[in-house]
Amino acid sequence: MFAGHLSDLIDDRPDEGIFRVSRAIFDDPGVFELEMRHIFESGWVFLGIADQARDPHDFFTTDIGRVPVLVSRDGEGALAAFVNSCPHRGSRVAQTLAGNARLHVCPYHSWSFDSAGRNKSVKLKRAGCYAESFDAQSHDLPALPAFGEYRGFLFGSLDANVPPLETHLGEAAKLLDLVADQGPDGFELVPGAVTFTFQANWKLQLENCSDAYHFTSTHPSYIRILEQRQTANTGFAVKSVWESSDYWREDAQGVAGGSFSFPHGHVLNWGIFGVTEALPLFEQAEALAERHGAAKRDWMFNMRNLSIFPNLQIAENASSQLRVIRPLAPDLTEMRTWCIAPKGESAQARRQRIRQYEDFFNPSGMATPDDTVSYENCQRGFASRVDPWLQGYSRGTTASRAGGNPFSDLIGMEPARNVLADAQLGDETLFQSYYREWARRMAGVIGQ
Amino acid sequence: MTLSLQDAEAILYREAEYLDESRWDDWLDLYAEDACFWIPAWKNETETTTDPESELSLVYYKGRNNLADRVWRVRSGQSVASTPRIRAVHLITNVRLVAADTTTARIAANFAVNLFDKRSGRTHTFFGHYRHALRRESERWLIAGKTIVLLNDTIPTVLDFYCI
Repeated sequence: MFAGHLSDLIDDRPDEGIFRVSRAIFDDPGVFELEMRHIFESGWVFLGIADQARDPHDFFTTDIGRVPVLVSRDGEGALAAFVNSCPHRGSRVAQTLAGNARLHVCPYHSWSFDSAGRNKSVKLKRAGCYAESFDAQSHDLPALPAFGEYRGFLFGSLDANVPPLETHLGEAAKLLDLVADQGPDGFELVPGAVTFTFQANWKLQLENCSDAYHFTSTHPSYIRILEQRQTANTGFAVKSVWESSDYWREDAQGVAGGSFSFPHGHVLNWGIFGVTEALPLFEQAEALAERHGAAKRDWMFNMRNLSIFPNLQIAENASSQLRVIRPLAPDLTEMRTWCIAPKGESAQARRQRIRQYEDFFNPSGMATPDDTVSYENCQRGFASRVDPWLQGYSRGTTASRAGGNPFSDLIGMEPARNVLADAQLGDETLFQSYYREWARRMAGVIGQ
Repeated sequence: MTLSLQDAEAILYREAEYLDESRWDDWLDLYAEDACFWIPAWKNETETTTDPESELSLVYYKGRNNLADRVWRVRSGQSVASTPRIRAVHLITNVRLVAADTTTARIAANFAVNLFDKRSGRTHTFFGHYRHALRRESERWLIAGKTIVLLNDTIPTVLDFYCI
């Protein structure tokens, strides 16, 4: 257990322009245990996308915190989510990452369940000499206490006491719309999942996705290689959008992007790419403008790194990545990652998206390893309590404004706060949204 | 001359030596200019992706210049993941000559690469299968294609070209 107080972990004094986070929030085992119980195992958590169980009886498996979960589409086409644990002795029932099954048979004692989670048989029931009271209990797979879908994005909660999913997502749902609306037939995960781990706290991943400040420091090798490829002009080179946009360059002028923060811990870090042929979406540029208007189309072409607290990130920059964050220990995190793409794009656009993805996003690429090794460096440094307070939550303090701005107005989105940034600002106030939600969820669990 | 099993082993061992010893230019020189370097991703527990044009790979490069980019990156001093480099030793076994004539050959082998990252203290082994396609050019056998099927694809932080 964590014996300290919230004020030992987060120092939030907006009137004084102070926001600090303690190193202990990243490496204290007691804090981690509380996070598992009160953030991951009792609030909305992203599970997957509807397209992962497209047809009747399709299913996929995942986890909420430490708890195994089965998401299944029944014979009538309805999606539901269950704890993937047999009511008999607790064994995980579904064994595979995904599949199609009318019947799930527990491999331990053969209790079976249909694709709607209903118990279909208790093996040798009549011979089992059960008391009558046994029949009074449900033998079904327990449904998650809360399960919801927003435009193909599936969420679940192990605690029924959560706000409606629409309330949880709030205005950030409009950023999921920007993903869902890119193709007339929705979106899908490109076949091939990539899983990696890093020896650091899960919140480092949460922050890094929203961190505009690190790009030119952490990724110079990637940036230089893009520049070299541009001049080499070779047909074999993998092209990237970064080389055809300027917003991230330290000498860029004017408003280059910024951040939006939302209630419940969701944040967006964004930048202006422009409607460029370097993005695979370019072939759809006119059709998207016709379907959704030029303003929303332009937003689809912006660099957008979205975090839906606590475990979903969708990064649309060099390519498009869907990430699921799974904390395993205070200093160990598993990332499951996919290339997310609009259905029905041309083979050429898909190829471009995939090539850009591999170079930038993969743990075997040229950018992500420089992030994850940096997380590990941070984790090592977090051991110090000489001065426990980190100073990385302060850039943008005097630029942060309540409500939206003309850019959020373009898609009718009303964030809680915004920062309009030039290329040098590197806003860090958006991280505060994570920790304010974190503190809200810990209130009553950890003393003030 | 048709490639012999002994020739095949010599080529694989030489490539391993260059990777283990950071002899990057020598390593690049083993590859044909249009070489294809491919590490497919996995679709599920038992199947890798098979079409790099429509499915995801861990690495997919057509052209040695892309490998040269990766070499440039580890030498650049501008990649925290690459400096200090992870120590590696490639163990290659079960070498088979799948097909061979006077101008082309295909080799299959198994590999285990033992890694030690002194900085993090992390020891790890990547293991799987190699499929090399060779081509005879200017009196030399060059690697025209290398496919690496990585069996343990939960990747601890970093997988670079010399780790596998």
